[in-house]
This record gives sequence, C-alpha cells and structure tokens, in this order.
Amino acid sequence: MWFEDIVLGEKRDLGSYTFTEEEIIAFGRKYDPQVFHVDPEAAKKSMFGGIIASGWHTAAVWMKLSIASRQAEAQSGRKLSRAGVSPGFENMRWLRPVRPGMTLHYSTTPVERVDLKSRPELGLIKSHGEARDDAGELVFSFTGKGLVARKPKENAP
Amino acid sequence: MAGLIYFEDIEVGQSFAFGHYEVTKDEIVEFAREFDAQPHHLDEEAGKRSLLGGLAASGWHICAMTMRMVVDGFISRAANRGGVGAEECRWMKPVKPGDMLRVEMEVLETRGSKTMPDIGFVRVSCRVFNQREQVAVINMTPILARRGA
Repeated sequence: MWFEDIVLGEKRDLGSYTFTEEEIIAFGRKYDPQVFHVDPEAAKKSMFGGIIASGWHTAAVWMKLSIASRQAEAQSGRKLSRAGVSPGFENMRWLRPVRPGMTLHYSTTPVERVDLKSRPELGLIKSHGEARDDAGELVFSFTGKGLVARKPKENAP
Repeated sequence: MAGLIYFEDIEVGQSFAFGHYEVTKDEIVEFAREFDAQPHHLDEEAGKRSLLGGLAASGWHICAMTMRMVVDGFISRAANRGGVGAEECRWMKPVKPGDMLRVEMEVLETRGSKTMPDIGFVRVSCRVFNQREQVAVINMTPILARRGA
C-alpha cells in the first residue's frame, strides 16, 4: 500500500493494554522519576491520590501496539503501507491519569496527506492517535506524522 | 536557586541547561524490544540499510531520555503537579550508541490556570543535542504549584 492508497478517516483499532503498577514504576524509575510515577506511598499524598503512569509511557505503548498490529496484519496477508521513519508529532495531550489496572483502548486514524517538495519519493501522513478508557473517555491523544513511500511512476526509465 | 521552584519563580525567556545522558546500545535495543520493535532500532545491519544509517534510538526513547534529564535538572527541584502534554516534537537527527545527550530548555509561556487557582502552566522548549549537533526539539508543558497554594 502506497501513500496514494491510504484512506483518510479510516480508523484502525490497535488493541488494548492493561497497565500494571510494576511496569508503571519501572518506566518511571528509568525515565520520569516524579513521586507520583515511582512511589506508591508518596503518590497517595499527591494531587493524583496514587501512582499514575508517565505520559511518555502511555505514548510508548501506542507505538508498541502499533507495531504489534502491523505484524498481525502482515501475517494475515493484508497489504500494509510502507512504514518509514517519523519526523515527529504534534499536540500530545495527557487528559486523564492512567492508574494501575486500567485498560486503555488505542487507535489511529489517518487525517491528512502532505506532499513533500524536498522528497518527491515520499509523502507525509498525519494521523490522529488516541487511547480511551473502558468508559470510552479520551485519556490520551496526539497527531502522529509518518513518511510513506509514493507509488513509483510507471513510465520511469 | 535555593528551595523549591514555584510557578511565580518562572519567567518567559528564562533558560536552563541539563544533562548529560549517555546513550548505550543495550538501552536502545532494550527500549525498542519493549516499545518500538522495528529493525533499525534493534539491529546494526538493518539500521545501515535504513534512512538512519545505523542502529539508532526510537524517537519515543529520545523523548523518554529527554524527560529524564528535564526531571533531574528541573522538575525534581520544582513544586511539580504533572503535565498537560507535548505540543510539538521533531526528531531531527538519529541518536546512536555512544551519543552524549544534553538539553537546553527555554520558557516560552507561563499561564495561571483559570479553573484551578493553585497551579500554573509552564510551556517550555527543550532542544536536545548530542556531542555534535541538535538532534531533537520537544516542546512540553509541565504544571507547577503556585507559591503558598
């Protein structure tokens, strides 16, 4: 599947992920050691009232499920876009705390196709990524950017 | 600056510098196995065949390492109350094993919360460098308590 074939607005469910306290603390100790990510007792006295996941952990799990979903689709024979590297993202929001035992449901929806004058063989796809809790409330969202190969010109030499 | 840093202590244009964070091959691969298992984050040869030109850290790993430097250098010294999000992130250059990362942080905007009088939002731009050049920029908005709140 090429840049030109991607259907804007077509939502893809990436699956669900349940955060354990152990994982939340392990990520926090390594990359985001604020008390409410690493210390259950101190976290109780914080404004969050208990341990919550680092927002970067919530984001990294979006990537994890995105990779797993691509692998599953590749095995099922579905044609995938040619994923390349990403130049970054925009508008990441951590809207609700992610607590131990919570299950988040992740998805991604391509929303915009951008031509790149500097890279005629590639296009940029902007996607709305998000995670919702069991009640359907939005917990996390961002606009991802991915470089995707364009369909080669058929009359190229 | 002595004592905890509160919202009132922060001014637009104020700048901070922190780091370093040494990037290891083991950590690049470990993070990628857990969160971003693409060949160019796991294997040197696959990295050479990719746009990255060698084994390179996941962009999400760059964000996580940057956060660690921002927490150690700033947030752990402040009356921290969480964060709103990250408005923009650009991954500009590959981050590779042996790189020594550092952060230059500048305050872009300060804004008291309208609905919660005891906190304020501090929008910052974090420019991330290795030993040669700028590799990323991550703009984010930590929340700080107001003094006396």
